[in-house]
Amino acid sequence: MTPLLEARGLYAGYGGMDILRGCTITVAPREMVVIVGPNGAGKSTAMKAVFGLVRIREGRVIFDGQDITNAPPESLAPRGLAYVPQEHNVFATLTVEENLEMGAYTRRSGIAEAKARVFGLLPALKIKRRQPAGELSGGQRQMVAIGRALMMEPKLLMLDEPSAGLSPKVLAEILEAIAAINAAGVAILMVEQNAKAALAMAHRGYVLAGGQNRFEGPGPELLADREVAASFLGG
Amino acid sequence: MLEFVNLYLVNGIVLGCVYALGAIGITMIFGILRFGHFAHGDMMTAGAYIALALVWASGMPVLWVLPAAMLLTAALGAGLHWAFYRPLDTGTGSTIVIVIASFGVALMLRSAVQLFFGVDITTYQRGFQTPIWIADTIRILPRHLWIIGLTIALVVALHLFLTRSRLGKAMRAMSDNRALARISGIGTMRVVLAAWAVGGALAAAGGVFLGIDTQLSTQMGWNLLLPMFAAAVLGGIGNPVGAALGALVVGVAEELVTFPWFGEPLLSPAYKSAVSFAILVALLVWRPTGLTRGRVF
Ligand SMILES: Nc1ncnc2c1ncn2[C@@H]1O[C@H](COP(=O)(O)OP(=O)(O)OP(=O)(O)O)[C@@H](O)[C@H]1O
Ligand SMILES: [Mg+2]
Repeated sequence: MTPLLEARGLYAGYGGMDILRGCTITVAPREMVVIVGPNGAGKSTAMKAVFGLVRIREGRVIFDGQDITNAPPESLAPRGLAYVPQEHNVFATLTVEENLEMGAYTRRSGIAEAKARVFGLLPALKIKRRQPAGELSGGQRQMVAIGRALMMEPKLLMLDEPSAGLSPKVLAEILEAIAAINAAGVAILMVEQNAKAALAMAHRGYVLAGGQNRFEGPGPELLADREVAASFLGG
Repeated sequence: MLEFVNLYLVNGIVLGCVYALGAIGITMIFGILRFGHFAHGDMMTAGAYIALALVWASGMPVLWVLPAAMLLTAALGAGLHWAFYRPLDTGTGSTIVIVIASFGVALMLRSAVQLFFGVDITTYQRGFQTPIWIADTIRILPRHLWIIGLTIALVVALHLFLTRSRLGKAMRAMSDNRALARISGIGTMRVVLAAWAVGGALAAAGGVFLGIDTQLSTQMGWNLLLPMFAAAVLGGIGNPVGAALGALVVGVAEELVTFPWFGEPLLSPAYKSAVSFAILVALLVWRPTGLTRGRVF
């Protein structure tokens, strides 16, 4: 099967210094792929590079058959690629509903249906829809961020540490929602610190370190791998 | 008491209206582009003189040509951004170069107005207006009623635009989080130019109202900068309705310090502008987010 996303041999960084040094990530349609790795490994940088937010010096990004290397970020949502950044991922002064509407900004029709579908997947949002997103709890905010990204009905949803700073109970809820989104046919590329929980539900995983791929394989296999466990999963 | 209302409070509110129409643009531009636009006062001057040219050309009363003047100044605002600020906007957050460029643009605008209209003070129309009495006690000039009424209408219309329309919501989204707006597919340039157009149109209204209330001079807008920035900070930077309310506070406060509270004016009218300065300093020291919840930078 041809991959939905194919980011190959990426070299990219900030101010002339490469953080990514040849890293490669592919995602097949409907696949759930998880990226794990130590702090500062370049996981967020890889996501930003794919989404045009960090300039790629070398390498190619192909999405859905089209070359999107260094494409302007605002051109990607209409193509079916959605991204939830690690930080500042909601419009804090806009209501939950307005956040969703901004997610569908380039959509001309079907906005009400898309909203209804998101409320169906993330029911906690519905009762909060008139509240500014900045007033919500961390878990609810994360749901708003994911809901915003779903409004264009993306083919691939990129999530950068959706569970950062959440309690174990809320973490489980978020991961469950992500699994449901994937089950509905949306491919997922997710960076996650809770490597064990994330890899357990993933089809495939990457271990990234020093801006390069270290290990790659089916989620459960990576979890079982002694070497991976010893060096990256905290034993 | 009536002297207080008729001679001071009404004047303060009218002044507040003029400040509000400029402060809204300043706060919107700061919210979206993160820079203080020091040519905003001179954009108001330009709007006032564009209206004067339209009055001369058409022979119509100034309020009739106001919509056309607002439209032309909206185009001027978008044009200024396109020609002067856009090339300097790197999107990386460093805006001091743009701030300094806006001083240059301020001088350019003022010189252009002086070139076409000369440096002498002028008015839209001569003549004397007789005040209207409300309930036999409050005396108000028709032009003051117009200024207050139209300002309220414009602020309400702006509020509806920002909370109901797709483009208005995109402006708020971009002011809230520019990176996330791009990620959501919101094209930056269109929204930015629309914000300049809105800021320019309101600036023209403010300039025209000041011209109607007093007179036109090429310094008129530049002199409003300090109170307008104070109003924008007071209302919470990035919050247009907050800026309008902040402007009302500043305008009324400036008039009230000249009221003879203890038999003599608290301050000589010549020191009026010290009021905005004091408000600005006090805010920056004690409450940089403004009175309403704004953003801190
Ligand atoms: N905007 C930036 N400018 C300069 N350097 C940056 C910037 N963002 C990240 N870096 C550097 O790039 C390296 C990789 O950062 P990145 O955020 O991609 O790591 P990460 O794997 O996502 O880590 P974490 O698990 O902490 O989120 C780090 O050394 C970081 O200091
Ligand atoms: Mg990260």
